[in-house]
Amino acid sequence: MRKTVTIWLYICLCFVLITPLKTFAGFPIGKYRNIVVPTFSYYRQTDRFDDKDHVIKGAPGTSFTSYSSNLFIGYGISRRLDFIATIPYLYQQNIVAPGYKLVDAGFGDAVVGFSYNLVNSNFVRFFSIGVSAIVPMYNIHDGPSPLGLSAFGSEVKLMYCGNLPKDVSTKGYFNLEFAYRRYYNTQGPDQISLLGTVGYPVSKHDQLSLDILLYRSFSSNKEFNSNIFAARDYSFFKPQLNYGHTFTRRFSAFVGGFYVPFGVNTGVGYGGSLLGVIKI
Amino acid sequence: MKKVCYIIVFALSILLGSLAAVKAQQQTEETGDVVLKATPYNKTALFTSSEEVRYRVQLHNNTKQQQNGRVLYQVTTDDGKKVTADSVRISLREGGDKDIIVNIRKRNTGFYRINFIVKLPEYDDTVRRVFGVNPEKVTSQLHKPKDFDAFWKQSKVELAQVPANYRVLERKDLSTQYKKVYSVEMHSYGDLVIRGWLVVPTDGNKFPVHYRVPGYVVSLQPNMDNDDFIAFDLNVRGNGNSKDVINIGTDNYSLINIENKEKYIYRGVYMDCLRGLDFLYSHSNLGIDTSKIFVEGGSQGGSLALITAALDKRVKLLTMQVPLYADIHDNFAISASYDQQVFPFKVFRKYQSQHAGFSWEKFYSTFDYYDPQNFAPMVKCPVLMGIGLLDQFCPPRCSMALYNHISSTNKEFVCVPNSTHEVNFNYFMFQNLWLREKFRIP
Repeated sequence: MRKTVTIWLYICLCFVLITPLKTFAGFPIGKYRNIVVPTFSYYRQTDRFDDKDHVIKGAPGTSFTSYSSNLFIGYGISRRLDFIATIPYLYQQNIVAPGYKLVDAGFGDAVVGFSYNLVNSNFVRFFSIGVSAIVPMYNIHDGPSPLGLSAFGSEVKLMYCGNLPKDVSTKGYFNLEFAYRRYYNTQGPDQISLLGTVGYPVSKHDQLSLDILLYRSFSSNKEFNSNIFAARDYSFFKPQLNYGHTFTRRFSAFVGGFYVPFGVNTGVGYGGSLLGVIKI
Repeated sequence: MKKVCYIIVFALSILLGSLAAVKAQQQTEETGDVVLKATPYNKTALFTSSEEVRYRVQLHNNTKQQQNGRVLYQVTTDDGKKVTADSVRISLREGGDKDIIVNIRKRNTGFYRINFIVKLPEYDDTVRRVFGVNPEKVTSQLHKPKDFDAFWKQSKVELAQVPANYRVLERKDLSTQYKKVYSVEMHSYGDLVIRGWLVVPTDGNKFPVHYRVPGYVVSLQPNMDNDDFIAFDLNVRGNGNSKDVINIGTDNYSLINIENKEKYIYRGVYMDCLRGLDFLYSHSNLGIDTSKIFVEGGSQGGSLALITAALDKRVKLLTMQVPLYADIHDNFAISASYDQQVFPFKVFRKYQSQHAGFSWEKFYSTFDYYDPQNFAPMVKCPVLMGIGLLDQFCPPRCSMALYNHISSTNKEFVCVPNSTHEVNFNYFMFQNLWLREKFRIP
């Protein structure tokens, strides 16, 4: 009856492996399963990087601060195909000179598309592709907007995620995303990003994760813009450390903080985010 | 910024490199003078009757000398009738490799054995494989006795007449911070006491249930590894901690009262499984979501799971692996072609040879009441089944015949080509996702 024992071990193992505390990113949602992720983010910058990666102190009393809310919705159409949408709402304060504050609020650039799981490696690792449209949810006919890049766009994203190799760790997961985004405007921009995430459970309900984001935006418009949502030509490196807690099978929450230690033609940003993962 | 790019690329390279290393490590090391690896072009080794059956045969010379010889392949039906054979001359230099493509012309529905044989002057080796053609069109004859339904209806009536007298004892010595373990006891058919283990996660109020029934004379223990389900593991009579009256080894368990259909061991065993469901339904106070009970088992447990789902509509999902005893008539014919007998017919043939007057007609006059295949049309819930193509205990033809008799149209099967009487880890990963999909578990 050795085989029965083997089968039993398989069952035990798969129940252990199937329930790591994963975030939603990269992992197929799956048929009949839906996910809603509200996110609240805070971003602030006072200093900036010039085009040679040097930090330039901001003028006294100037800053850019953004409070944004994102609503991510994922709907599992089939075992491989998911519908995904992200709708942002922004509130920004851009103090360009002492006593001169620009305040803007409204919906930003929505991202709507589909994610398809191309390769499923033993239900442990997943390689997927996402194709999305970028739809400005503000008036783009009145010239540049602080809420976004004022142009329609598209995005192709490759995602590879799954459990960490057993040689590295018996627990934990990783997520790698490479995205190319193009805005249909004479000034673009074209953007590429590389995101790497490693998550590790520190207890049954708690986890730590580290996101590392490398972002490059190309445009013929090289002008510095302190508003990160409307800037066009820049690059930055942003690590973010998160703590996640699973409250129930349907609800988890993550809180994290980030800092931009390196960048070109962008702000020396810092801030944090709070997000909830609601599985329906 | 360039420095950062280098760091990122370096980190990603390490991660991807480690993934590749793991993949390489997972590949089994094989030994032998000449190693033969046969890979079907269709990953599951299942083909249609409109396509050629194709294998890639990879040879590797492990020795430090030239090897000259032949590679033969022989195809037979699953009951041993010759279909085709051919051979290829090979010449392998020291450490050399060679690939051969084997094409077999279109075959009819069924399962076929294919043996690849390396023949060298001083070395022989055989790799045995099985492939299937149109598995979902495999048919078999149902040998269902006329009073089959009445027989089981009466069995259920007799079970209902036995007061269950449930005893549920919390086992604090086995419980953890996250799981409460209960030892469960109840009276079943014939007033025998049977026992099981109930494990309830502590972080929730209501859970779906994973109801597991045992393999052949297997002792089920508390299942502590399931966070999203209440795990109920029932030891039917003669198994695990339910051996008060029947305590007999694997050689004789399936023979108890085999000459009397009324008293055959499995009548009580099948009813034990239903009594387990009675227990679950009467203990929703323990957090059991009675609207979400799935029954699962492997081998004998696979058949018990199917029969439970067939006889009791309170089961909402059925998952089974390599169901034992399925399509017992065809299993008899297939097993007759084996070089060495294996369970279950190893036991049945031995008994038959030692008991004058116990003909195969007599055997079927009992066993036709118990063949899981005869219960299959009564299964209406969603079904997932796993089979191993090299399985001799439950030949794939028999498992697929049973599967094709299942009434439910919401059914899937997973084929594991190189497994014998078991499925693999991937199957269970898929099973878990399948369950979550069907039960809408996040």
